[in-house]
Amino acid sequence: MQLAIRNNRDVWAGVMLIVTGAAAVIIARDYAFGSALRMGPGYFPSVLGGLLVLFGLYLIAQGLRSNERIEGNWSLRGLIVLPLSLVLFGVLMEYAGFVPALMVLIVGSAAAGSEFKLKEVLLLATGLTAFAVALFIYGLGLPYPLFTSW
Amino acid sequence: MHTTRALLAAAGLLIALTSHVAAQSDYPNRPIRLIIPFPAGGSNDIVGRAIATQIGERLGKQLVIDNRTGAGGVIGTELASKASPDGYTILVISIAHSVNPWLYKLPYDPIKAFTPIGIMGTGTNVLTVHPSLPANSLKEFLALVKEKPGELTYASAGIGTFQHLGAELFRLDAKVNLLHVPFRGGGPALVDVLGGHNKIMFSSLVQAVPHIKGGRLRALGTGGKERVPALADVPTIAEAGVPGYEALNWWGLIAPAGTPQPIIARLHKALEEAQDAPEIQAQFEKEGAATRKMSSADFGKFIASEMGKWERVVKEGGIKAE
Amino acid sequence: MDLFQNLIFGFGVALSWQNLLYCMIGVSVGTLIGVLPGIGPLATIAMLLPITFNVAPVGALIMLAGIYYGAQYGGSTTAILVNLPGETSAVVTCIDGYQMARQGRAGPALAIAAIGSFIAGTFGTMLIAVAGPPLAELALKFGAPEYFSLMLMGLVAAAVLAQGDIMKSLAMVALGLLLGIVGTDVNTGVQRFSLGITELSDGIGFIVVAVGVFAIGEIVANLGNPEERSVFTGKVKGLMPTWADFKQSVGPITRGTLLGSFFGVLPGTGPAIASFASYMVEKKIAKDPSRFGKGAIEGVAGPEAANNADAQCKFIPMLTLGLPASSVMALMLGALTIQGIQPGPEVMVTRPELFWGLIASMWIGNLMLVVLNLPMIGLWVKLLKVPYRFLFPAIMAFSAIGVYSVNNSSFEIYLTALFGVIGFIWIKLGCSPAPMLLGFVLGPMMEEHLRRAMLMSKGDPSVFVTRPISLGFIIATVLILVVIILPAVRSRRGEIAG
Repeated sequence: MQLAIRNNRDVWAGVMLIVTGAAAVIIARDYAFGSALRMGPGYFPSVLGGLLVLFGLYLIAQGLRSNERIEGNWSLRGLIVLPLSLVLFGVLMEYAGFVPALMVLIVGSAAAGSEFKLKEVLLLATGLTAFAVALFIYGLGLPYPLFTSW
Repeated sequence: MHTTRALLAAAGLLIALTSHVAAQSDYPNRPIRLIIPFPAGGSNDIVGRAIATQIGERLGKQLVIDNRTGAGGVIGTELASKASPDGYTILVISIAHSVNPWLYKLPYDPIKAFTPIGIMGTGTNVLTVHPSLPANSLKEFLALVKEKPGELTYASAGIGTFQHLGAELFRLDAKVNLLHVPFRGGGPALVDVLGGHNKIMFSSLVQAVPHIKGGRLRALGTGGKERVPALADVPTIAEAGVPGYEALNWWGLIAPAGTPQPIIARLHKALEEAQDAPEIQAQFEKEGAATRKMSSADFGKFIASEMGKWERVVKEGGIKAE
Repeated sequence: MDLFQNLIFGFGVALSWQNLLYCMIGVSVGTLIGVLPGIGPLATIAMLLPITFNVAPVGALIMLAGIYYGAQYGGSTTAILVNLPGETSAVVTCIDGYQMARQGRAGPALAIAAIGSFIAGTFGTMLIAVAGPPLAELALKFGAPEYFSLMLMGLVAAAVLAQGDIMKSLAMVALGLLLGIVGTDVNTGVQRFSLGITELSDGIGFIVVAVGVFAIGEIVANLGNPEERSVFTGKVKGLMPTWADFKQSVGPITRGTLLGSFFGVLPGTGPAIASFASYMVEKKIAKDPSRFGKGAIEGVAGPEAANNADAQCKFIPMLTLGLPASSVMALMLGALTIQGIQPGPEVMVTRPELFWGLIASMWIGNLMLVVLNLPMIGLWVKLLKVPYRFLFPAIMAFSAIGVYSVNNSSFEIYLTALFGVIGFIWIKLGCSPAPMLLGFVLGPMMEEHLRRAMLMSKGDPSVFVTRPISLGFIIATVLILVVIILPAVRSRRGEIAG
């Protein structure tokens, strides 16, 4: 039974909705609610948050009834490595410049794939970066330094 | 000749680098970053870019435009406040710079964190109403508003914008009650007024003039000390019934505090030369603005006085953000 | 006939070799920035504006306009090929366009997108010429109550976007509405859900959410299932649509064009709404709605026609009333003003060469775009044969640069990463992110118009039914509700009984 819930698609969707909705309602308590006629900034978010909770409850009920499983695998490697490379790109854009940021992003993303060959990837990263520099920095005139911050 | 050059430049999407005069001193020896804390296409951006091109030509190095938008200009301004004071980062500021301290908790000191370079220009607002509003002059307008306190609504470009503050200043100076209806930007607000849904707007001059001339809006008064050439028969709000009213929109350049004085002086000189360029004159006029010159020190005092003025409006008008 | 003579005159202006060249440059640059995510016509036009001061007004406007509508063509390319929306309006194209590509039908998808856009562009251009000024007057009748009722109707119709499970779709729309609220409240200036982060005070960028949930989410999914991915590159069949494809697309293109023109004329509707509307209509009237989301060509043809018609018709309020419907139009207006031209009803009389020249050039530009884009299809499809281990890092790179360039801010990159993860989880849980994006687009506008309407009516809700246009939308909304709910209830009963 426990195992079934751990893999139950709709139950988890419901839980996520309830958590989001509840958080929205709690945070929105800080904003003036107003009335239906003179709505404050808290009106819309509170109503929506409440709606999400209701949707969540419905989905949990539906999940317990239908027992639909989550299909396929979670592609954990990609799910962790790709966002991480993006974050690195963001940090490096601030502190190191366009070229290092892009190189790291390309090599990092490639590492998320299953067929990673360093030599090939470095070649790809160099080529793509050169192309991006020509297109974005020189062509479109985006104001980013190639190396080091301003 | 010009056409061909423009075509070539556009084809490669390259900003023409017209580095025909070599710099006399060491500064600048690389491109200067000009932060504009508002999105492309707004008045800050248009004014800033126009001046930047001219200054770049005079300094012999390009000014690279960096639009860092968000939070009413706070994000870009914060960035500039943290930049190294070497003259290679400068910032476009506007009236928002003197209003934000009273609306937001700022991550920088609007005066101490910067060194003023100079003012670029000023513009004014104009009180416009939809022709269906039964008021043909400011006097009639005031009578109408006093007859129905709090019932008439005005449109603005959003909380804390020039259009909003100009109206709030009017409310305080004329002691009348108008209801504020904010929009997301000046364009949508103007559309609503042209449709007659809201009937009142303290619009920026550049936006309103064509519609005033086309008869879709009625101008009751302009917000400057003197009449505006484009609307010579429209009185100023001050002369027509609200003495002392003056709402100026302005744009200027500042640098991070600690930028060496010789560099500030050089930028100031380039700015004043740029302002004399006929292209700039023409372009400012089309934007409903006029170039204005001030010494760097006077500009500093100007910023401080603007801050004082809007502090009163924000606090007494009960305007809040955050 | 006057119109005929005017058009001939316009073509005379537009066909001068300089103006043809400006048009060519405009549409090529437009296509390029359209293909790239994030970098849009707004930033490009702002950058090019100073250069155009030295160009004759007609040429300048022809070029800037070309960039703008060219971007709409380019935007669909990466949406179809790799699920990466190049422009806001191409998000809807991702849904079925990308599925077509997965089935080896990228060629027909790209071709029908270009052809649909061309037909819509032609119609939009004609509409400006024939009925520009009266349409613009009509658009002015839309105030806050009308916009709210219109969007309410859109939201209710969104239930149609449901794939299988209506409740899940509605939940995702609600989630999108909530996401759209993040940022500064326009009415009070209060910061909502910005968690003390300054960067969130202007809300979450649309491109951030779209790139996150579509492009990044898709790559993660592909990396998890390498077999599936290799299958889809292996079976590219046919570059051009078949006769059956054409027959299936005629209706959607026609309806998409009309819908797009309607939304285009209204200055208060943002991008992507026209294409969402077209998609919902096509899905609702399709004989077999279950094909949607699995590579239905109608789901590409309709929305692509709609977004191009929308783009063309956004010129109507700008040219005939001097009203900018969007930031891009505000820039064009600025470009004209700087050249000493005041758009408005008079412009047709005082500057006929500008008005009719531009209209003729827009049609020529649309033609150029088709001629440019159709031969490119072969090239684009070859891109799919590039081994995926090279392709996906490149998609990541272009996505990252595109997102970064919107605000020059790393924060948006972090958010994109976050949405990539969240989007993937939702897909895994069987919840499609498309309705969420619709809610995200509609949310802030709906709330704003609702509260504004209540403010202006002094809190009297009857304002929505006493104004005739608004009342019309309310009635339509009720009808849609009836049409949607009845069969859903019936089938659910059947389900339970069975």
